[in-house]
Amino acid sequence: MSGLSISKRLADALFEAAYLSLITLFIAFSVIPVIVAVVLSFDARSFIGPFPPKQFSLRWYESFLADSYYRDGLVTSLILATVATLIATIAGTLAAIALSRATFRGRAALQAALLSPLVVPNVVLGFGMLIFASRLGIIDGMTRLIMGHVLITFPYVMRTTAASLVGIKASYYEAALSLGAKPWKALAQVTLPLARTGILAGAVFGFVTSFDDVGVSLFLTDAYTFTLPVAILAQMRANLDLTIAALSVVFIVATVLLIVLLDRLAGLDAIVGRGVYGR
Amino acid sequence: MAVLELQNITKRFGAATAVDNVSFEVERGEVVALLGPSGCGKTTTLRMIAGFEWPDEGRIFIGGADMEVRQPYDRNVGLVFQDYALFPHMSVAQNIAFGMKNRGVPRAEISRRIDEVLEQVQLPGIAGRRPSQLSGGQQQRVALARALVTRPDIMLLDEPLSNLDAKLRLQLRREIRNILSTFDCTSIIVTHDQEEAMGLADRIVLMNRGRIEQVDTPHALYQSPKTLFAADFIGHANWIGGTLSRRGGGAGVVETALGSVAVAPGGIADGAVTLCIRPERLALVDGEAGADTRLDAVVERHDPIGADLRIWSRLKDGTLVQSLEKNVGRDLPAPGSAVTLGFRAADCIVLPGARP
Amino acid sequence: MTAALLWPALVIMAPLLLGPLLALGHESLKPFTSGRIGGDDAGALTLANYAQIAAPEYARYFLDTFRVGLISLAFALLLGFPMAHFIVRRAAPVTRRLLIGGLVGTLFLSIIVRIYAIAMTFGPNGPLAGFSRMLGIAPSSPDGAELMVVLGLMNTTLPLVALTLIGTLQNINPRLEEAAMSLGAPRWKTFFQVTAAMSLPGILSAGIIAYAFCISNLVVPMLVGRGSILFVSNLIYFRFSEVANFPSGAALSIVMMVLSVALFYGLLHLVRSNWQEAGK
Repeated sequence: MSGLSISKRLADALFEAAYLSLITLFIAFSVIPVIVAVVLSFDARSFIGPFPPKQFSLRWYESFLADSYYRDGLVTSLILATVATLIATIAGTLAAIALSRATFRGRAALQAALLSPLVVPNVVLGFGMLIFASRLGIIDGMTRLIMGHVLITFPYVMRTTAASLVGIKASYYEAALSLGAKPWKALAQVTLPLARTGILAGAVFGFVTSFDDVGVSLFLTDAYTFTLPVAILAQMRANLDLTIAALSVVFIVATVLLIVLLDRLAGLDAIVGRGVYGR
Repeated sequence: MAVLELQNITKRFGAATAVDNVSFEVERGEVVALLGPSGCGKTTTLRMIAGFEWPDEGRIFIGGADMEVRQPYDRNVGLVFQDYALFPHMSVAQNIAFGMKNRGVPRAEISRRIDEVLEQVQLPGIAGRRPSQLSGGQQQRVALARALVTRPDIMLLDEPLSNLDAKLRLQLRREIRNILSTFDCTSIIVTHDQEEAMGLADRIVLMNRGRIEQVDTPHALYQSPKTLFAADFIGHANWIGGTLSRRGGGAGVVETALGSVAVAPGGIADGAVTLCIRPERLALVDGEAGADTRLDAVVERHDPIGADLRIWSRLKDGTLVQSLEKNVGRDLPAPGSAVTLGFRAADCIVLPGARP
Repeated sequence: MTAALLWPALVIMAPLLLGPLLALGHESLKPFTSGRIGGDDAGALTLANYAQIAAPEYARYFLDTFRVGLISLAFALLLGFPMAHFIVRRAAPVTRRLLIGGLVGTLFLSIIVRIYAIAMTFGPNGPLAGFSRMLGIAPSSPDGAELMVVLGLMNTTLPLVALTLIGTLQNINPRLEEAAMSLGAPRWKTFFQVTAAMSLPGILSAGIIAYAFCISNLVVPMLVGRGSILFVSNLIYFRFSEVANFPSGAALSIVMMVLSVALFYGLLHLVRSNWQEAGK
């Protein structure tokens, strides 16, 4: 056939091969470490030996469950993430709604300022918060941690909620007003219910950010109040056994459950967005 | 009594004047169309009546009350949005109940009125559905019902038919007309579609560049436009430029490149004018009768448009003109043949100014 | 109404944003006497802590941070873009959902867990211990440590990059790609000259966001840098935890913050002013 271009076909075949191998590499790179951690968590050996292990046991899970250090950290982290997320979600959602409507000068600057903790290294925020708190005479670990974690979760909540508000037409709010609803009522009965997916996604992002934080927490914990990641870091330096692997599996399972829950509640597509030409 | 009165309303956005010294009144039970091209200020005017924009100058009265300090929720207007803005997280019944709840209608009364209004817009039995489960035409009628059910002083409809396809548009135009007259509802309809305005409104407020060009009945607006813009925006027209002069008596003569044309100039001052002849008033002339003015032309082509034939002919000075002939099986001059076109002085609208 | 909605955020965030900033600024100007915790309150304010940072042994940390961050980012974009493209254009609905779930899951999974898993996989006893030798890098050398840091940073930024690029690609009309192919462009050319070219603002935006994450990282160098690759974040933490030199740590913090903010908003502004649509 005359219209068949061999060189174009060949180039496309090469391109296809490169494209697919990059995708395979992506998946392998993301999945293999997770599998390794899971397998190692069942290793029966008392030392870290060559992979794969020959014998399996639940000893690391037992050692993890027996350690109250992790349990204390987990409780602190859960309380901290819940409180910080609650504060950040209320303030962040209202601010996102206000900024989505506002037309005043300096609106962009205010928004950038409120989002700025996203850009500043967490270590800087944590160190700054430590000095600030000590100047104010706040030495209670939990109070300091909540201050630091509201600071880092707020921008996530506000950004995610703001993104979801873009898709909500102004005419819904205006329709509610013209039907006699006062602004607060229009907000509570129309805007907030319509934005609930975005608010939920923002809250989940905020919670995960707080729960996962190391940089801020390292500075603000004290001997009695420490978060789970800080506890893990301390243990990692103290003794290199495979308890951490068992703990990792718990984290992985919890994350998978969270994703399934999020998919059920809001739909992952709603969180990622479908865009103009999404399918 | 005027239900709505706009007094010298001006609205600026930055340096641009969106609405420029606009005044008009709407009487009880009247349907008024705000008609004009996009960007003429009609939507801004509607949003000021609804309370979403505030006039920089002038005052708005609804039911005799000054709206200067009234928030949107304190005005008894029924607004139908271009995109309907039906709350997607509420059922049809919840959407319709929303306004009544805010206006303090008793609970038993609310459910009674929901059934009643759905009956009136011919959508019984859909109260439990979500807006996303309805067709475009159904959504439109639910939006109407939601606004009507609160018994507003005035209904405001923003481009009510623009989101529907052509056939549905024609059908819904009739239905909207019926629904509005059933409720004896004072209404303002914003539209850029002249047919929609003609078909729905008792009176049309024609707007251009933030100003009112003319306020008239649809018929008068077509028959006797007062400005070049009005004549051009509504319907088709043939244009002949010239200079008007009155020799002695009231009858005027317009000197054009095609010769003198006898006209009835009304109150228009002598000077540069444009003649507007509607295509259906420009006819092929056979004998001597009928026409006050005759023009020689050569037929260029025919456009069949169903009931009529549009004949395009070129005049001696090169101007292309259109005339309508009834499609009744008569032999018509073939393209290329020389014809005479004629019109009566009464059918020639004289407009001040020259066309650009 | 708008103002009322803003108040909670302003009341809460203004002190949390400004307090630490002012406290750091003040602390950074205090003189330091070794052996004390924190700056000397009695001494006169000084710029000595900033002058110290300009020394070559400090500059190295900044260079390492920005250099290693850039390498990691380049690999993250190289792997992330095809993945995002695959999800948006090719994946069947089930695959798409699974992959997006995996990306969000990876993003949510504790960074310590992820880095621990990487260390176990590519470490001396791991199944992929031979990976660095394959690239001609001795695992125990400083280059080996750098490789581990790059792998760790890539792992943290990959899901972020891919998810951001999904958003970008979903706003590009697939008809344009079909038009290019019907005009005779082979697939690879279409991919580079239409898809990738039109995604450029999005790629740059995603890159800037990911870079901000890379250069502020603390955990990755701490866990797999083996002391030979350390970022500015680690240095600040050392000032606090090892030597308790608060003024020096504060000065480092201020410098790092100014650099990060300037780099982030400067680059983003550059991208947005060149491509209007990139701001979305």
